[in-house]
Amino acid sequence: MSANTMQGSAGSGAGFFTKLPGALPGLALIVLTMVVIKQWIEPWMGAQELFGVKGWLIKVTHLNYILLCIILGMLYRNVLFRGTIPGFLADGFKLSRLLIKTGIILLGSLYTVQAIVQLGAFAIFLIGGFVILSIVLVLWLGSVFKMDRSMTGVLANALSICGVSASVATAPAVQAKASDVAYAIATILGFGILTMFISPFIGHALGLTDLQYGAWIGTGILNSGQVLAAALAFNPAVEPGSAVSVAEIWNIMRVISIPFAVFAVTVWYWSGKGSEQAGGAKKSLGTLLVEKFPVFVIGFLAMVVLTSFGAFGDAGIKGGPPASETIKMLRLVMQWVFGFGLVGLGAYIDIKELARAGGTPLKIGLIVGITKYVLALIVVLMIKDYLVAI
Amino acid sequence: MGNGKGSETLGSTDDKHKMTLFKDDRAEDWGAIVVSVLIVAVVIVMTI
Repeated sequence: MSANTMQGSAGSGAGFFTKLPGALPGLALIVLTMVVIKQWIEPWMGAQELFGVKGWLIKVTHLNYILLCIILGMLYRNVLFRGTIPGFLADGFKLSRLLIKTGIILLGSLYTVQAIVQLGAFAIFLIGGFVILSIVLVLWLGSVFKMDRSMTGVLANALSICGVSASVATAPAVQAKASDVAYAIATILGFGILTMFISPFIGHALGLTDLQYGAWIGTGILNSGQVLAAALAFNPAVEPGSAVSVAEIWNIMRVISIPFAVFAVTVWYWSGKGSEQAGGAKKSLGTLLVEKFPVFVIGFLAMVVLTSFGAFGDAGIKGGPPASETIKMLRLVMQWVFGFGLVGLGAYIDIKELARAGGTPLKIGLIVGITKYVLALIVVLMIKDYLVAI
Repeated sequence: MGNGKGSETLGSTDDKHKMTLFKDDRAEDWGAIVVSVLIVAVVIVMTI
């Protein structure tokens, strides 16, 4: 993901509402892309007969609107605009994370408090274990390969929690340079793009259920947007018990752990420095919680509580009454909001930037990334009888 | 890098290089909450 090749924005320091009109052309392109995919491309793929199979493109390649959104976003940036989104469109694409976060908040309408407690307890166990394992593995490999301590700290959280978010959150605490963060982000996003596209195939080939698949990718894939994309690519349904509903619980648990992991890596980093140097830079866990807690999670939890109290009518949970019209429309809106966000996510994937990943960070990134990805699949298959359906 | 509050600030002080239209990720998180509230309100009104 590159921040360097997006142009646009009104003057430095301008507020959101000042910049919003300038974002409309880019937003219009995103919306138009999604409309074309949903109204024409996806139905066309479903109707085409290839190798004697109707809808071969969807049934065999598992291409759906989610993957098409990402692919088109990537094509815009890397082919059509040759690596740089033009200034008049760039601000619109900068709304993609806002849209993904909005979709995740709305996703709270898929759960009840009881389901969150059941699934969340399991997610905490798995996520917690994998976060600790990844951090320890990266710190150890960092010392084996004699990698710079700041780079090791950034990579440890990038590979253990939430990719971009964790790299950026950790950077100031371990005195990392911008290039350290860029390397870490390029490494985890490069790996993530690969897993985002191959995971649905593996999931279908192994006959994984939505529950198993969601738990696997929620644990094994590093970036929030990519978890979302991989889940919806496996099963585009946005409903209770679908792959995305499971994967996002895992993802939310991981995002919540950011302040704790930043604290742990900061303690490790400064433990190797003199106490005088450390004095001005270390932050307490409380300070990190206040500064780094992802507030949009509160919105997600509020949606869960409102759904549990029936604020939107029947939620359509398995075994219960069918979903109300409000809930059905919310789920339809979510599909579109995610689609918009993922076109933008695709447009942030700069192939040239990914080529910056290399050397020791890439080696460690691949070792830990593949270990985590494969191990998560093995663990999920081993504990499949204990996973709680929602 | 990363001086803003919130979960994922690509903390460039230069607006041109930031990956969000918001001041920082904490502001973006609040923005997402506001947009969600608006969407829910519109959906409720449409399905009453």
